[in-house]
Amino acid sequence: MTAQFGRFSWGGTGGLLSCTVSLDVTSAVAAAETSVETRTAVHDYIVRHAMYHMAESDSWNLPYVHLRFLDIFRYDATMVIVSALLLVAAVSLIWRRRRDPPRGMTALLEFYVLFIRDKICGAFIGDRLGRRLTPYFCTLFLFILTMNLLGLVPLFSAATNNINVTGALALLTLGLMLVGSVFENGLRGPLKAMAPPGVPWPLLIILVPVEFISTLGKAFALMIRLFANILAGHVIIFCLLGLVVILGYAALPAILLAIVLFFFELFVCFFQAYIFTLLSAIFIGQFVHAEH
Amino acid sequence: MTAGLALASIGAGLATVGVGLGIGRVSASAVEGIARQPEAAPKIQITMLIAAALIEGFGLFAAVICFLQI
Repeated sequence: MTAQFGRFSWGGTGGLLSCTVSLDVTSAVAAAETSVETRTAVHDYIVRHAMYHMAESDSWNLPYVHLRFLDIFRYDATMVIVSALLLVAAVSLIWRRRRDPPRGMTALLEFYVLFIRDKICGAFIGDRLGRRLTPYFCTLFLFILTMNLLGLVPLFSAATNNINVTGALALLTLGLMLVGSVFENGLRGPLKAMAPPGVPWPLLIILVPVEFISTLGKAFALMIRLFANILAGHVIIFCLLGLVVILGYAALPAILLAIVLFFFELFVCFFQAYIFTLLSAIFIGQFVHAEH
Repeated sequence: MTAGLALASIGAGLATVGVGLGIGRVSASAVEGIARQPEAAPKIQITMLIAAALIEGFGLFAAVICFLQI
C-alpha cells in the first residue's frame, strides 16, 4: 500500500507538469511570433529548475557530468545517503573533544544534546530508558532536519517527501515502542500495554483492538504528517514557479510569493523535525509507562 | 478527470477550514491559559504543540487524499 501511495502521488505531479508544458507549447505555436524551439528550450530550463523541488527522476546525477555508477541508486535513496554523510561530516567537523569547557560550536552541540536528554527523553520517556535513547533522538532530529533542509538547496531534493522514507522512520519509532517496553517492563511489557491487568475480561474484547489500532495509528500519523508537510510545501513552490511557464513575465508576483514561501518552508523544516522527535518520545513514553 | 480535480481542490479547501478552526481554538485557549498563569507557559506550549500537531495530521490526511485525486 505504501509503495502505491508513493507512485500515485508522483504520477499526479508528473501529470501536473505535463499539463503545464503542453498548455504552454500550444500557446507558443498559436502566437507564432517567436520561434517555438527557443521558447521551449527556455521553458525546459525553467521547468528543470522548478523540478528540483519535486524529485521526479528515477536516479540522481550531477548536473553536467553523467556518472554511470550513480544510476544504481534511486533518487530519494541518494538523498538519504547524502544527508547522512553531510550530517556525519558536519558533526565531526564541529566536535572538538579536547577542550574541557567546550567553546563555540561544540558548546552549542552540548547544549543541544542536553536539551534532548533532559527536556525530551528525560521528561517523556523516563530516566533509565531515556538516557539509553538519547543518542537515537539526537540523531533523529538532526537527520530529519538535514533531509528537510536539503530540499531547499539547488540540485538536491528532500528525501522526506517520499512516503517510504518517512514510513521507515515511523517504523523505527514503532519498533522502539515495543523494544523499550520489553526493556523496561520485561517480556510481557507490550502485552500489559495492550491489555492492562485488572480490567474485567468483557471490557478487554473492546479495549485490546482499540489499543492495537491506536498504537499502529500513531506510527501511521507520524509517517503521513512529515511526508505531507514537506510534500505540500514543495508542491506549492513548484506550482508558483510553474506559473512562469504559463504566464511568462506576468508571473513576477508569483516568484516573489515563492521566495516568501521558501522562508516559510525553512521554518517548517525545523518545526516538523522537532515535532517528529517530540511525538516519537511521547508515544514511546506512553507505551512504556502504560499504567499512567 | 477535470471534475475530479475540481472536487479534490474543493475537498482540500474544506479540510483546511476544519483544521484552521481546530488549531485556532487550541492556540486561543493556550494564549488565555498563558496569560492567566505565565509560569505554566512551557507546559502549556508543549501540550498545545502536541494537540496542534495531531489536528494538523488529520488535515494532512485529507490533503494527501486530495493529492491522490490529482
